Amino acid sequence: MTVQPRELVGQPLAIGAEERREGLVAKGWRFVSRAAVPVVIYVFLIAMVIFALFPAYFVVQAAFRPGQSLYTLTLSLWPSDPTLDNFTYIFTKIPFPTWLRNSLGVSVGTMVAGLIGSATGAYALSRFRFAGKQMTLILLLAIQAFPSVLALIPIYLILKTIGLVGSPFGLVLAYMSVALVFCTWNLKGYFDTIPRELDEAALIDGCTVTQAFLRIILPLSLPALAVTALLMFLTAWNEWVMASVLLLDENTYTVPVGLWGLQNDYRVPWGYFAAASLVVSIPVMALFLGLQRYFRTGLTVGGVKG
Amino acid sequence: MIIGVGLISLYPILYNVFISVTNQNLYHFKHYSFIGLTNYHNLLKTVDADFFIVLARTFLFVAICIPLFLGLGMLTALALNHPAVKFKAFWRVALIVPWAVPSYITALVWKFFFNGEFGTFNQLYRLVAGPQAGLPWLTDPNWAFASIVLCNLWMSYPFFMVVILGALQSIPGELYDAAAVDGAGALSKFSRITLPLLRPAILPATVLSAILTFNTLNTAYLLTQGGPFVSAAKPGATELVMVYAFREAFQLFNFGYIAAFAVVIFAMLFAITLGSLRFSGLVREEAR
Repeated sequence: MTVQPRELVGQPLAIGAEERREGLVAKGWRFVSRAAVPVVIYVFLIAMVIFALFPAYFVVQAAFRPGQSLYTLTLSLWPSDPTLDNFTYIFTKIPFPTWLRNSLGVSVGTMVAGLIGSATGAYALSRFRFAGKQMTLILLLAIQAFPSVLALIPIYLILKTIGLVGSPFGLVLAYMSVALVFCTWNLKGYFDTIPRELDEAALIDGCTVTQAFLRIILPLSLPALAVTALLMFLTAWNEWVMASVLLLDENTYTVPVGLWGLQNDYRVPWGYFAAASLVVSIPVMALFLGLQRYFRTGLTVGGVKG
Repeated sequence: MIIGVGLISLYPILYNVFISVTNQNLYHFKHYSFIGLTNYHNLLKTVDADFFIVLARTFLFVAICIPLFLGLGMLTALALNHPAVKFKAFWRVALIVPWAVPSYITALVWKFFFNGEFGTFNQLYRLVAGPQAGLPWLTDPNWAFASIVLCNLWMSYPFFMVVILGALQSIPGELYDAAAVDGAGALSKFSRITLPLLRPAILPATVLSAILTFNTLNTAYLLTQGGPFVSAAKPGATELVMVYAFREAFQLFNFGYIAAFAVVIFAMLFAITLGSLRFSGLVREEAR
């Protein structure tokens, strides 16, 4: 709550500051010609944009390139005869649509189960005093420091014992073990910024604790819930390591595992991989770029709390 | 629900500690037995044990990567924050794109770039150095290491750019005005005002990024599978900690051994996390 007014006040200040700083920078660099600094900056920015966007551009042009024409020794930046063959191939000749469906199922499963788990857990950590609360917080941090790759052995063995290796449910459980901790921590931070008086007032008016949670806390934290949910969705959608170990059959593969197999097989033209990458990354990139302005708010909420 | 979180997230870690004192591997998969601290002994017995080689290499990797990420992130943020730059929204979104690309796709695209024959980098290199030339991007140990640094630089600098840009925009302009009145030049303004005020934003971001970089698996494994391997008995040139653990566990099935490895690495990472959190004052706030 303390953040909102600060951000609002900060806005006009920053604009004024920019104008003032412009004069100062020019003064500081008076021995350089006035025009040189912007030129250097623009050259740097253009170079950086080429660096940043070239791989993305490369995938786009490769996706429209026919057959084996990517495998040349000389540089060629755009196919002379662009086609949609790669796209029709991945949707009709290989189980790519199945992989997409599996990925969607696993990601939505992780998101829903993870959200229920982390929202309730975070509420308890944010509002109640109970024995071992401090311990729990430290433990959550500890678990987060445990790299998921290393947790993969016990996860694999546990899932094997209960017969869930190779099943998408097992994969969702594995993702939850990683995502729950981060999301609980994240949501707890947000719940802490909601004034306690609000749910206390609700309790006095006769709400049960559950009602206070469902009617007061959840509606107030919709933005945080949305961002957390999408982060969980993206984690599951983009995850390769766990899926590659826990999924055994081509028909249960998620997209990352399927694509890795496609790319690693030298008989398969790289254009198929490029087309499939384009199909899976464009929606998530759009989501990410749309959400990126919330990332900064998220970072600030953590920073000025207290 | 806390219990649920505990069950799902904590149980695997406790189970891991249990595996680390057994001899579970490919030959003793079902009928493993308790072998005490032998795994830990094997892990740490000599100075040139795999553990230390891999660990030292990973530290080197982090030590090279972080200054590069930070430097490039800082430069782009400063450029974006410069008042002479127009269309800031466009530049910002264009420069943030690498962060949005799923990391496994990044790795596989760069793998194609680094390809000796058809890779874009060698195609470019041939334009300068003649049709027979080629650089050993992924086939020479040192080049392979550098290639992975380059690929990570591409995907990691936007994080620092966003963090630093946010912090830059929150520095009040009055400070620069006052400094100018006192006769400060651009350089001293940067080192006396900008840098100290960026510190609180940069420090936690650096710690977070260092831990993530330490845990690099996708880019390294997907680009080189840990290779190139100089000798069969030693870890490959790009076998970072997580690549080593992944290969030992799921290609060689040395479960017990890697579980011990995991416990040691985890103790280290946890100490670093706690230390850095206490350092940045986060835990103190939580403790209130």
